[in-house]
Amino acid sequence: MPLDTEHKLLIFAAAAAVRLVLPAVFPTFPDLLTGRVEVSTPVTSFKRLQEGVFLYTHNVSPYDGGVYHQAPLLLPLFSLLPDPSTYPLATNILYTVVDLLSANAIGQIADSGQNVATRLFTSSRKHLTWSSIAIATGYLFNPFTVATCLARSTSALSNLFILTAMAKAAHGASTTFILALAFAAYLSMHPILLFPPLLVLLYDTRATKTQSKPNVWTFAIAHTLGLAVAIGALLSASAFITGSWDFLAATYGVRLLLPDLTPNVGLWWYFFIEMFDSFREFFLGVFWLHAASYVPGLTIRLHKQPLFVACTLTGVFAIFTPYPSIADAALYLSLVPLFRHLFPLMRYSFLASAAILYASVLGPAFYHLWIYAGSGNANFFYAITLVWSLGLSIILGDSMYAALRDELDVERPELQGKEVRRI
Amino acid sequence: MALLSSILALRRHPALIKLPPYLSAFCIVVGIAWLLILPLNEYSRRTYVSENALLPGQVHTYFTGSEHDVFRAYRHEVHALIDRPVEERSKALESIFLEQNLKVSTQKYNYTVSNTTIASENVYAILQGPRADATEALVLIGAWKNMDDEVNNSGVALVLTLARYFKRWSLWSKDIIFLISADSTIGPQAWVDAYHNEHNEEEVESLKIKSGALQGAVAIDYPAGPWGHRYDKLHIVYDGVNGQLPNLDLFNTAVAIADGQMGIQCVIQRMFNHDDTYKERLMTMLRGMISQGLGHATGPHSSFIPYHVDAITLSTVGDGWHDEMTLGRTVESLFRSLNNLLEHLHQSFFFYLLLQSKRFVSIGTYLPSAMLIAVNFSITALALWVKSGKPAEGEEKIASTNPEPSKPATDDKSNSTSPATDTKSPPATEIVKLGDAVTIVPQSSTTTLERPLLLPALLVLTSHAIGLVPLYYFNTHPSTHLRALHLTAANASSILPFVFAWTGYYAPDTPIPTQTFTLIQCFSLLGLGLGLAALATLNFSLSIIIGVLSAPLSFVRRTESNALNILQLGLLAVLNPVMVAQWSSHYLGADLAEVLRLAAVGWRVWGLWTQVVVWVVWFPAWVVGGTIVAGGMF
Repeated sequence: MPLDTEHKLLIFAAAAAVRLVLPAVFPTFPDLLTGRVEVSTPVTSFKRLQEGVFLYTHNVSPYDGGVYHQAPLLLPLFSLLPDPSTYPLATNILYTVVDLLSANAIGQIADSGQNVATRLFTSSRKHLTWSSIAIATGYLFNPFTVATCLARSTSALSNLFILTAMAKAAHGASTTFILALAFAAYLSMHPILLFPPLLVLLYDTRATKTQSKPNVWTFAIAHTLGLAVAIGALLSASAFITGSWDFLAATYGVRLLLPDLTPNVGLWWYFFIEMFDSFREFFLGVFWLHAASYVPGLTIRLHKQPLFVACTLTGVFAIFTPYPSIADAALYLSLVPLFRHLFPLMRYSFLASAAILYASVLGPAFYHLWIYAGSGNANFFYAITLVWSLGLSIILGDSMYAALRDELDVERPELQGKEVRRI
Repeated sequence: MALLSSILALRRHPALIKLPPYLSAFCIVVGIAWLLILPLNEYSRRTYVSENALLPGQVHTYFTGSEHDVFRAYRHEVHALIDRPVEERSKALESIFLEQNLKVSTQKYNYTVSNTTIASENVYAILQGPRADATEALVLIGAWKNMDDEVNNSGVALVLTLARYFKRWSLWSKDIIFLISADSTIGPQAWVDAYHNEHNEEEVESLKIKSGALQGAVAIDYPAGPWGHRYDKLHIVYDGVNGQLPNLDLFNTAVAIADGQMGIQCVIQRMFNHDDTYKERLMTMLRGMISQGLGHATGPHSSFIPYHVDAITLSTVGDGWHDEMTLGRTVESLFRSLNNLLEHLHQSFFFYLLLQSKRFVSIGTYLPSAMLIAVNFSITALALWVKSGKPAEGEEKIASTNPEPSKPATDDKSNSTSPATDTKSPPATEIVKLGDAVTIVPQSSTTTLERPLLLPALLVLTSHAIGLVPLYYFNTHPSTHLRALHLTAANASSILPFVFAWTGYYAPDTPIPTQTFTLIQCFSLLGLGLGLAALATLNFSLSIIIGVLSAPLSFVRRTESNALNILQLGLLAVLNPVMVAQWSSHYLGADLAEVLRLAAVGWRVWGLWTQVVVWVVWFPAWVVGGTIVAGGMF
């Protein structure tokens, strides 16, 4: 174990060094990233957060300007830090710590072993895993994670709470799980959709730990109530801080109704730019219904592998939510290595990685053509966000195929190695 | 669904495994053939003006008569300033503008590139349009020295005359800025940087007076001396820095006015005697592509284009019967057209290849050629990926390439199911059923090896990072030593693949498996394909030039045959980016030292990133290709 701890320490130190040295060597780099639409969305941008903090410290409602759409509790936290334009170090340290904690959480998820063997299902390839350190390293040195951290996007915080919620659920810690998920949902709303699969996961771990299965209904109701109370407390605290309930419309309202059509890597903005106003409500409903419909479907079909469902849902969020950024993709792509045992069953890994790589290189190029060179137009960038989403969808679909195939291999051993055919 | 599964089954077809090299070669051949058919009438189009507001040549021009006397007087005044110090020249030009009641200012700049100082001063004046609200402006440029380092005597005089003439008109709905830059590339760059507040104040002085957003810029290059010179044709230069082009409407307007209204024939890309044959068209296109690919500044207009200001340079060539007043009227008519613009030029093409002044190929027609060439690398990368997953022929130590030697499952539960599919179980054959057909194939053709990806990925990334070293040295070295630096780079880069191959194949205690090298080549080609595909959208010509020059990288492999190795290495040595710089500059009639100096100027002053592409995309891919081949030599 001491060797492992030493490795972990070394890797965490290296990751921290990268995050602190890069902005020191290239002082303009973080601001450049902060302005990139791929990294900062209207609901996570650090620039907008600074605007909100400025208004907040001058005793103006931060939501008056129509610029700030993030959670109110971030304001007191960031107003404690020194001004990031003069002393960027404090903010950088905060974000570095957030990333390290996230990596720690992802390591805990890997340590739990819930990715290969759950209460109801044990993969036949369960020996095929990467160590928790390798997976944490993958998270820390993922270029998308590093970019998010340097851009100081607040999705880093949401990611931390999502990962913590997963880790706590995988270790059967009810209270911390509820708190972490409440924070994640409070910060960026859509993580609330992770509640069903993670609740199943929590139930599974509790059931294996205690040997006596808790009653399903009391368990579910108790935890749902707990989550409601935690979120209620956070919202009340927010109302207390800002002095009114206006923040609900400015934060969750914006996430739900998409009034800000700034381009991002997702699929919504272009669609809603083109939309006639009379259809807007209808399609908002359809889009949200679509994004949310994965939750029950996946949770029921893959209820034996709840952690896989939760991770797949983060991928769904990275594609189908209204304001996705590369931070969401970073979260999903860092969780995929947990399912190392499914890799031999995946069929399009090269294709998908190539699509993601192409999109990450062509995206900035096309954005440049559209915005700076003026020789392209919005279609250029939108086309590339389609490729990006396609790449992520291929990974998503392929890993789901692999997970189902893995279940099938256990249920019907005689079918192992046979080609599947859809009928 | 049946289609899908049959396509999936096709993945194992042996013919498909052999196909990729042919497919890659096919892509390259088609890509190049595609370029060659572009000059044909069927694939190119006549130019036309899209923007209705421009109305080229619809106005009567009045720049005649007594203006000619004014011009001749200014021409002598400018001539008298030629040997004067910069300050005195600026003072004199300032006073001429002041006499015409224009707001005047100057701007000093001082760059240090390759240990040499480039310092001078721009003079500019702003005519406030009588109907304008200072939100939009046009620029008329007369560089003091043209691209051939001749004094632009008549050009500057014409700008001064036109300033005086334009001032009298009441119809300008945009401000007009007259800029006398000290030279043709650095001065305009300093000015336009400062205009957009993108300058470094230690090098470039901020502008004291400004106007609105620039809508267009026209530069005049007319180096005739004090006694005039009648010219034959107008040479329109349109390439911007980094291969960005102005909107085709601006070019078309200039051609329509000069040719249609004034009767001056227009030529492009220094093809002064264009007889519109296939060969001439192709030559024009290729010259345009080389110029675009290099991405250097080709005139005073070039610096404006990166700021999304459409700009061209009109330069006079040959001996003929057109005089300075015709040029003045052309400019007048052009400015009247631009004055009509209601919004920024956006209607027409930004990506085009011109075949002659009135024929062009649009992006939809030519882009596939560069994409095909970029795709060839991706195809080979895919093939190498598949190959890296196949056990090598007759190689028994399959398990040694597996990071985790498969151990029999000890758990009862998983034992009862069956061993995992990817553990190397003894049977060497297996039965494959496809529809009704049943066949027994060697298992090696259906199983996939584990691929350790970290080391190859890291090595490829490192090779790309190493490219930053020569990039740094070439841009900071004193200009007098650039030649020696190039020689060193040529030698070092030729040896580099052998050094890497030796350290890769022989230095380590446990030899690195062949699979790793296959993966390294796979990632390197994937990166090259990726880079070139992205580049094709930004600078088509550079992408296709690099694509063609590095096409052999798709086909080089490690072999045991020495003759084949020497052949491959010989080919690669010629296509070494450093050597390409050498022989191409010789072939194109340029001095290598001057090219290297200009590249450094480009990097520091113009914001040129051609060299970044060369050193960070092309060179590393070449080194990896060379290393793969050189491995066979030991």
